[in-house]
Amino acid sequence: MPEGEYFDSRRFTGLSTLLGVIAVVSLVLCLVGALVNPHQFSYSWLFAFVFFFTLCAGCFFWTIVHHATDADWSVVVRRQLENIAVLLGVLAILFIPILLLRDHLYSWMVIPPGRAPNLDLKRAYLNLHWFLIRAIIFFAFWIIASLLLRRYSSRQDKDGNPLFTIWMRRVSFISLPLFAMCLTFGAFDWMMSLNFRWFSTMFGVYIFAGTAGSSMALLVLVIAALQQAGYLKGIVTLEHYHIMGKWMLAFCIFWAYIGFGQYMLIWYANIPEETQFFLTRNTQSWWVLSMLLVIGRFFVPFAILLMRSIKKNPHQLSILAAWMIFMQMLDMYLIVLPALHGTGVHVSIWDLICLIAIGTTLGFVYLRVVAKTSLFPVRDPRLIESLTTVN
Amino acid sequence: MTTTPYGHKVYAMAAEYPSAAALYEAAKRVRDAGFRRWDVFSPFPIHGMDEAMGLGKSWLSGWVLFGGISGFLTAVIVEFGPSSFLYPLVVHGKPTNFFTVPAFFPIMFELTILFSSFAAFFAWQGMNRLPRWNHPMFNWDRFSRVTNDGFFLAIEAHDPRFTENGVYELLEQTGGRHITVVHED
Repeated sequence: MPEGEYFDSRRFTGLSTLLGVIAVVSLVLCLVGALVNPHQFSYSWLFAFVFFFTLCAGCFFWTIVHHATDADWSVVVRRQLENIAVLLGVLAILFIPILLLRDHLYSWMVIPPGRAPNLDLKRAYLNLHWFLIRAIIFFAFWIIASLLLRRYSSRQDKDGNPLFTIWMRRVSFISLPLFAMCLTFGAFDWMMSLNFRWFSTMFGVYIFAGTAGSSMALLVLVIAALQQAGYLKGIVTLEHYHIMGKWMLAFCIFWAYIGFGQYMLIWYANIPEETQFFLTRNTQSWWVLSMLLVIGRFFVPFAILLMRSIKKNPHQLSILAAWMIFMQMLDMYLIVLPALHGTGVHVSIWDLICLIAIGTTLGFVYLRVVAKTSLFPVRDPRLIESLTTVN
Repeated sequence: MTTTPYGHKVYAMAAEYPSAAALYEAAKRVRDAGFRRWDVFSPFPIHGMDEAMGLGKSWLSGWVLFGGISGFLTAVIVEFGPSSFLYPLVVHGKPTNFFTVPAFFPIMFELTILFSSFAAFFAWQGMNRLPRWNHPMFNWDRFSRVTNDGFFLAIEAHDPRFTENGVYELLEQTGGRHITVVHED
């Protein structure tokens, strides 16, 4: 084993077993749900899936940005980004229920040609074969790129060969445009096409804004948890928390900017084809959740994150990070579930069970992955610069 | 010592250092000696120098917050004032009350940014006592190297701890060269 700091999985056997047991039980329950109430279940599963998908895809995004910009501060936290990004492979398997239950989710798959004129105009894009091919392309790209990045990074731990840094940079440069395309069209396919009559060209960017911000919050939580467990002491400093907090602030603002941009253009033009999305979400009991999202996802964290003392306090920043992840969950809930319950909030037990099922599965796999390599890239050429980062 | 033999008022006693690292270490010594009115000069920003000088937090952010809030309130007044109270006009079927606020957000945002940046720029100028025509340090001919390869430290004569011998010794101990008295204009 190369040098470095290792996660001792024996210390966490209890947690790992617990996660595994809960994952198995809840996945079995999900199977029951899929048989008993497939209509509600399919939406609940999609909601849980996109929530965790955005978190993992965001960690992939931060990894490639790190390499593409030749950043030095993020070296010490990069291994955890890589670890979370490889969970996209697990999500590819968890995507299968969506394919099986597709007829419940995507009405455009079952409407025969000639019934809905505006769907017939979109058939060149919205058809099952092309949908499947796209899903395969998206996941193939994410899996290959995230595995490559993690593999190069862990091989560099062994011999410290700086060529790996160059190779990771190459992978990242190719990945940047591909990531943008895959995330945008993934958002179009899986979320926007829930209502094939509605469209927004900003939808992909909107999803990206939430993705990047919430995965940075997840990174704060993961790093803080590892430090709580006694790892990365003296490796990750308050300076790193400060930078991560700044990124949370930046993407909190960016999310609001994109979200408002999307809303205002549709609100101002007032065309029924476009306003139906917000009409559903701004009326009935959905209005409460929409307002909670606007205030809780932007105004409150924006005001709090402006303060430097919060960003330099891992404990307080972690609380805010957990809140941001909760808000990302609400955001995904508000995108997926109103497509089913257009007349008002209708909380279902399957929403919770699907969340637990996917969350514990990913957590279980993460605990396996994290123990495999050092907790930080121990021979990265930029490690010293990262350790001594001052900002 | 408040005047030079030629009758000029003394501005400071200054020294040149061979490198950024030497200047950084010297700054820490001067900070620990308890001086308050002094400054360092270098061709480029030196990371961590603010801490080495013991500068503490800059309150420029307070001015920026003030600018931002006044910009936001200005936008609120110039938008809701006419559109909701002085001359309510229904446009695009949108309400004239509070719920027309999405249309006003861009202006509120822009004015908040504009006033913040104005506040940042002018408060920064004011806090640095800029603009000014000249600075006493330019009376020292070696100081022209500050834009090239010179690292300088000057302790002002205003400082309550300033004594000619004490400051000279401190600058010498910290590795300062070409120690000299800089006079006012």
